[in-house]
Amino acid sequence: VASPNGENTKSGDLQLVSRWTYIKETLLKNTFLACAFVAVMGVALIFVFIGVRGWPVFTEVGAGNFLLGRVWSPSNEQFGILPLIWGTVLVMAGALVLGTPLAVATAIFLSEIASPRVRSIVRPAVELLAGIPSVIYGFFGLVMLRPIFADVSGGLGFGAATAWVILAIMIVPTIAALSEDALESVPNGIREASYAMGATTWQTISRVLLPAAKVGIIDAIILGMGRAIGETMAVLMVVGNAPVFPKDVFSPLSTLTTQIVMDMPYAVGIHRTALFGMAIILFLVSMFLVAAVRLISRLGGED
Amino acid sequence: MRRAVSTGTALVSACLVVAALAVSGCGGSNARTNEVVVTGSTTILPIAEVSAEMFKEKNPDTSVLVSGVGSSAGIESVSTGSSDIGTSSRDLKPEEENLGLADTPIAYDAIAVIVNKDNPVKSLSKQQVKAIFEGKITEWSDVGGLDGSIHIVNRDEASGTREAFSKIVMDKEPFDPAAAVLPGTGQVRAVVAEAPGAIGYISFGFLNDSVKAIAVDGVMPSVETVFSGAYPIQRTLHFFTKGAPTGLTEEYIDYVLSPAIQDTVVPDAGFLPVSQGGK
Repeated sequence: VASPNGENTKSGDLQLVSRWTYIKETLLKNTFLACAFVAVMGVALIFVFIGVRGWPVFTEVGAGNFLLGRVWSPSNEQFGILPLIWGTVLVMAGALVLGTPLAVATAIFLSEIASPRVRSIVRPAVELLAGIPSVIYGFFGLVMLRPIFADVSGGLGFGAATAWVILAIMIVPTIAALSEDALESVPNGIREASYAMGATTWQTISRVLLPAAKVGIIDAIILGMGRAIGETMAVLMVVGNAPVFPKDVFSPLSTLTTQIVMDMPYAVGIHRTALFGMAIILFLVSMFLVAAVRLISRLGGED
Repeated sequence: MRRAVSTGTALVSACLVVAALAVSGCGGSNARTNEVVVTGSTTILPIAEVSAEMFKEKNPDTSVLVSGVGSSAGIESVSTGSSDIGTSSRDLKPEEENLGLADTPIAYDAIAVIVNKDNPVKSLSKQQVKAIFEGKITEWSDVGGLDGSIHIVNRDEASGTREAFSKIVMDKEPFDPAAAVLPGTGQVRAVVAEAPGAIGYISFGFLNDSVKAIAVDGVMPSVETVFSGAYPIQRTLHFFTKGAPTGLTEEYIDYVLSPAIQDTVVPDAGFLPVSQGGK
């Protein structure tokens, strides 16, 4: 079949039968380009919107008072978000400490130990964890976990510790799936070589596979970190939402995301600006995490 | 030939899309005049919802959409025109007074201070309640209770109950910032019902057997004590409209103020009718 414009006839994988087909192909190509562009525009627009709405906080409140202020009390015109940053870091760090071993061990089990039959049950179960809406995790935390923590601590059960447990479970699917990919991308020859040298399964996992999949696992942990920092609804329901430095992990605290949700319905004026300022911080943190993943992957690739 | 057919198909589907849009547009504008949107205080939700259902039964062609998002959000939404009635369990703030909102009081409410049922404390002075919520009294033994820390359960700042409590009890002094902040009356009640050291406050209408109300200045909250004005923590519930209510909105408000609601639904929800409310 002859092509009217003579293009691509040599490659053989794209046979242009008519001008109409050519137009269709071009249209499709541009449609896909437009779709990708929408995603990029979405990020750009959100960034600009948050930036424009939030930037005045740095001039009106002052960067120092905003970022390092120790009191968040909008009704008294005090907009210090240090307690919220501390809350975010505390909740995220604890969740990672609890969740990472759980997730990486799950990935090792799925990739190296489980029989295909067991894997066919465990893997969908782990994937299902990612599909549960976060409000369900929050509800579970509020109704089931909080009373247990209340009994243990003698308090109300709202606090970082309760959020740790909920978030640890929530980040497992993210970290486990990516870690499993990293482990499975280790060439089988390396495994076989290790076993051929007489190494046990544990020696193979700890001395050979984990170091080989190190970069992928670190990336997985960083993305899990992003999930933990950004999670809002589930955390909101179990932390108690007190914008202070908590005296222990069983006392109410607040994070950047939960405080935005709590305050957004009624915030006006500079208070609303401060909430957008907090959104800028969250946006920058997530940009930093994505950049870190890319950088580590690239450096790791050069090893 | 193939080309002609696909162009034709495209034209037909485009026509269908346009037609569908036109139809749905018409449907939307028709429904609008038969619809009253009521948004705001979660405290007023029981009254607004029940009267909406009864109103719809009497006027089958209409629809009254009720949602509870907090008093401040209700006032915000009626002033921007997203809803026809903004319900609020607090008075307007000074900066809200020039929004052109017309106020219709629909009931009176009292706020009960609640503790766990196992807590032996029966009575507190208003000053003690204030000091507890300020974080100045932190041990139950300081107010005649058992050993153990006081755990405050506060409401979020969008809550009308918190606003009223802050005004009536706290004299606008700040709450203890380390207190747990929960986004709903039901949550406050559920947490206080479980935690032995907890103290919170909820609308009198939401009081039930799962928690224990505290006598304030020696007066227990009850329909009688609120009505007589003896109970110190009480407030007015409002319907706000943008300008004087008209049309279906006015009909709905008149219905809420009629004996059908005031004599049954309002007392059932634990509030006092406007006709009798003593302040």
